[in-house]
Amino acid sequence: MVVKEIIEARWKAIIGGAVAVVVAAVLASVYNLLKNTLETGNGAKQPPAQIQALIQQMLGSYDAYAWSQWFSKDGPELLAILAAVLGASLISSEVSKGTIFFLLSKPMSRERVLLTKYLVSALSLFGATLLGSVALLIVAAIVGHPQQIGGVLISTVLLWLGMLFVLGLALLFSVVFKDVLRPLVGSLLVTIAFSVPGYIPHAQDWNLTFYWASFAAYEGTAFPWKALIICLVAAIVPVALAVLLFRKQAY
Amino acid sequence: MSDMSAAQESVGNSRQPAAIELRNLVVKYGERPAVNGLNLTVPTGTIFGFLGPNGAGKTTTIKTMLGLRQPQAGNVRVLGYDAVAESMEVRARVGYVSEVNSLYDFLTIPQLSAFCRSASRQWNQGIVDRYVGVFGLPTKIKVGRFSKGMQSQLALSLALGSNPDLLILDEPTAGLDPLARHEFLNKLVAEIAAEGKTVFFSSHILSEVEAVADWVAIIRDGALVVCDELDHLKQTQKTLKLTYANLPPAAEVQALRDLPGVMSVAQEGRSVRLLTHGDVEALSQTIQARPYALRGVEIVDLDLEDLFLEYMKGGDNGR
Repeated sequence: MVVKEIIEARWKAIIGGAVAVVVAAVLASVYNLLKNTLETGNGAKQPPAQIQALIQQMLGSYDAYAWSQWFSKDGPELLAILAAVLGASLISSEVSKGTIFFLLSKPMSRERVLLTKYLVSALSLFGATLLGSVALLIVAAIVGHPQQIGGVLISTVLLWLGMLFVLGLALLFSVVFKDVLRPLVGSLLVTIAFSVPGYIPHAQDWNLTFYWASFAAYEGTAFPWKALIICLVAAIVPVALAVLLFRKQAY
Repeated sequence: MSDMSAAQESVGNSRQPAAIELRNLVVKYGERPAVNGLNLTVPTGTIFGFLGPNGAGKTTTIKTMLGLRQPQAGNVRVLGYDAVAESMEVRARVGYVSEVNSLYDFLTIPQLSAFCRSASRQWNQGIVDRYVGVFGLPTKIKVGRFSKGMQSQLALSLALGSNPDLLILDEPTAGLDPLARHEFLNKLVAEIAAEGKTVFFSSHILSEVEAVADWVAIIRDGALVVCDELDHLKQTQKTLKLTYANLPPAAEVQALRDLPGVMSVAQEGRSVRLLTHGDVEALSQTIQARPYALRGVEIVDLDLEDLFLEYMKGGDNGR
């Protein structure tokens, strides 16, 4: 069953991984160009001072730039979409194509069916996340800003755990709905909803996406225990709900 | 329906455990019962045709046997196992070809076989290879490029690979052309049954059921209408066509309906058709002795299609 799931998910994972590599590599490589452009101006009209200050802050150090661009912004956005794409079809496409009867008529528990599917997708997602991080590490070293491997790895695991929340949501919706579109859109909308507290003053602690990235962990100044535990719990809850629901679902 | 009861009772009392036993099965979709108090016993080693019009509850019954749906009431035992509490044991011993017949179209036959092997307890790749060879199915191209008939043949081959004691086929020949249907049933099902396995298949193509089945059950509105050995059913159930000299009064038609052995009555002018069971000769003599002149009495043998139509026309009298 694992092989079947790998074959089914392979193109999504390959494309997702390739995009992650390209995005991370581009982000890592354009730092010097951005910094030079901002410093020399190249004859272009300078942006307002406030914007300049923000850009200066972002480009103040390569570490802060790399972390904020890959682990805090583009990485989660890209990988959340990949997680939703991987999870949305896990059960719903079996139902819509009619293969659910072939699958569930085999002497396998529904827990095994669901968790095998989930684990293959989770590992594909880890592969894509890791590829992006490795691309970042390699390109950063090439452009003269070697990064701490330990910090990158911990941030990679944290980001992956955060993405498992999206994957779990997509899986849960995939059990509920019989088409792929609603689980895909639903999981992304719920994820966005969980980031809303980030825009509310004094509610940052309730912003789940805040825990997906830790600069202190990236720098190697602190181990992100709290973020890891929160991300782990957030990843487990939707999967547990999906298992409970799938056990009782009639087809 | 004493014949039905007697046949089912004799199966129920036999020492060999029944392949399938349904008792007062109720399965609902929301509030609507799809299966409504179904009782059925399928003897081991038979080719059992499960008939009914569209929406009669055939597929729902099959899904319940496999644990894909939970019954609201009643008991389901398959090969001696409780289909609800021991669903895994049931599925380990049952080969199933679904109505939809959907296989993973992105896999090749060896990949599908590997998938089934990983999910099976007693996989026999030799059986699959043999049937794949018999059907001449290509092993290097993806199943999605197979014709409907090839997919049915592959689904059956894979179902047999788990070496099942019971094969459940839900409308296995739907969408096949007559030649493919003939090959599928006459060649295969007979061969499988010859190995002592029980074959339970639902169909609405009555000629194919009649060609291979030795037992049949007909359901309507989720309840059993009749269940018997096909030969016994055809021997004991016949149509008696009566042609009266004058239009028979309603009281006479009602009296015919109440005669023992009369299952249903249909009147068209001076002609009255009785679906009967038991000793039709004796019934014929009883009717001829009644005080209404008859121009003709004809005993008509029924094939399965006639029987099916009679039961479907018979309303509650047919039960």
